[in-house]
Amino acid sequence: MVIHTEATENKLVALASIAAELHSVMEVAWGVSLAAKNAKVITAQSSDKALGFQPIAQFIDEISQLAMNGVNDINNEALLLTRIAVNELRCINAYQLFDSVKVKNHEAQYIDSMAPALKQVEENMQASKLAYKKSFNQLSMLLESMDKCMLSARAIASVSRIVTSNAQEYKDKLKVVANDLDEAATYIKDKLSDSYQHLNNVKLD
Amino acid sequence: MKTTKIFDQDHQWIMFGRDHEKPESIIDTNQYMVVSGKRAIIMDPGGIEVFAPMLGAVLHHAKVDEITDLFASHQDPDIISSLGLWDQALPHATLHSPWLWEGFIRHFGMNNIEYAAIPDEGSSINLGSLTLEFIPAHYLHSSGNFHVYDRQAKILMSGDVGAALEACEAPLYVEDFEEHIPKMKMFHQRWMPSNRAKNDWITRVRELDIECMAPQHGRIFKGDDVTRFLDWFEELEVGTAIHSGK
Repeated sequence: MVIHTEATENKLVALASIAAELHSVMEVAWGVSLAAKNAKVITAQSSDKALGFQPIAQFIDEISQLAMNGVNDINNEALLLTRIAVNELRCINAYQLFDSVKVKNHEAQYIDSMAPALKQVEENMQASKLAYKKSFNQLSMLLESMDKCMLSARAIASVSRIVTSNAQEYKDKLKVVANDLDEAATYIKDKLSDSYQHLNNVKLD
Repeated sequence: MKTTKIFDQDHQWIMFGRDHEKPESIIDTNQYMVVSGKRAIIMDPGGIEVFAPMLGAVLHHAKVDEITDLFASHQDPDIISSLGLWDQALPHATLHSPWLWEGFIRHFGMNNIEYAAIPDEGSSINLGSLTLEFIPAHYLHSSGNFHVYDRQAKILMSGDVGAALEACEAPLYVEDFEEHIPKMKMFHQRWMPSNRAKNDWITRVRELDIECMAPQHGRIFKGDDVTRFLDWFEELEVGTAIHSGK
């Protein structure tokens, strides 16, 4: 069996890159959450002048919470996937070394006694591959779900711009919130797209 | 990897080392295995780089499932960084090592092997009918450090004490003690930190009946050369790097 460790090493780099991309997403989502809370305060102060913005502010708050939770879930899954990839790398290294011992020392009196260890390492390697596949799919799903969430955020940002036009003296403040949401959703979508790219670079063997 | 039986009676001591295939930039190490009946212990099994030739060499002398024990005199990478691989080769083995280093040594990867922590005062292990003693050698050079003494074979596996930095071509045994001194002087002065610890160890070891002192680097001392080494080491001032700050 010929096994290359390079692919697994690339996986580790890609997973670390995803974690780095998502670190900035968390900061942006936190910023949107603060803006949404600010918008809720504004709508409360404005009595009925910005009444239409109330459910939107609530939605922005919810979506920022969803984004933060989603980033946490993605980070946790990426961490799990990294652990699995490290374990796989260790199994591959062990398998290669055990196999080289078997080939180079075929005349050794007790060489056959290492067969169970070799078999076990091979089984561990296969188990790691399966675990990787499962976690990879889960991570893809989480990224996809987050992407949809950001698509909704952009849509609500467009709606909120229309609603803020009726908010009289609160119009400008609420417009800033709507723009912030749109920018944040665009930024997060870009980062998710980069994360997808990293993940696709290390697609399943 | 060169394999030599240094004791062959009821049980065997086998030395592995002088590995010509190892990368040039890593220090040459001596690994030892004691085989007693259907059980074997590998002492200071070495670093990751020597794992494959070491396992290959071991399989000429013992079956995998007969290697029931490992010993690591201390935590250094040339001593035990191969642990993560032995852990997969010998999942039912026990590693005997200083209690002080357990949390550190586990960083090398240890999911299967059992850690048997050796207390500061030392302990012993029964390998079938053979008893091996773990002799305290703290601060020589590691702060938690043990050597292995075989009362029956009169062999002391002395870890870094008695070590010399030499090429792979070096003979297995010290042939001319005076000529050997320059090869080990700097090693002991620089790596050994404490004169007090050194003298404490010498007092302890002088009470043992030793025919053969087997270090982890360099050559093995036999017969009168063991006493010569102890006398020389007693006179040697160690921990010399602190003088450079004068």
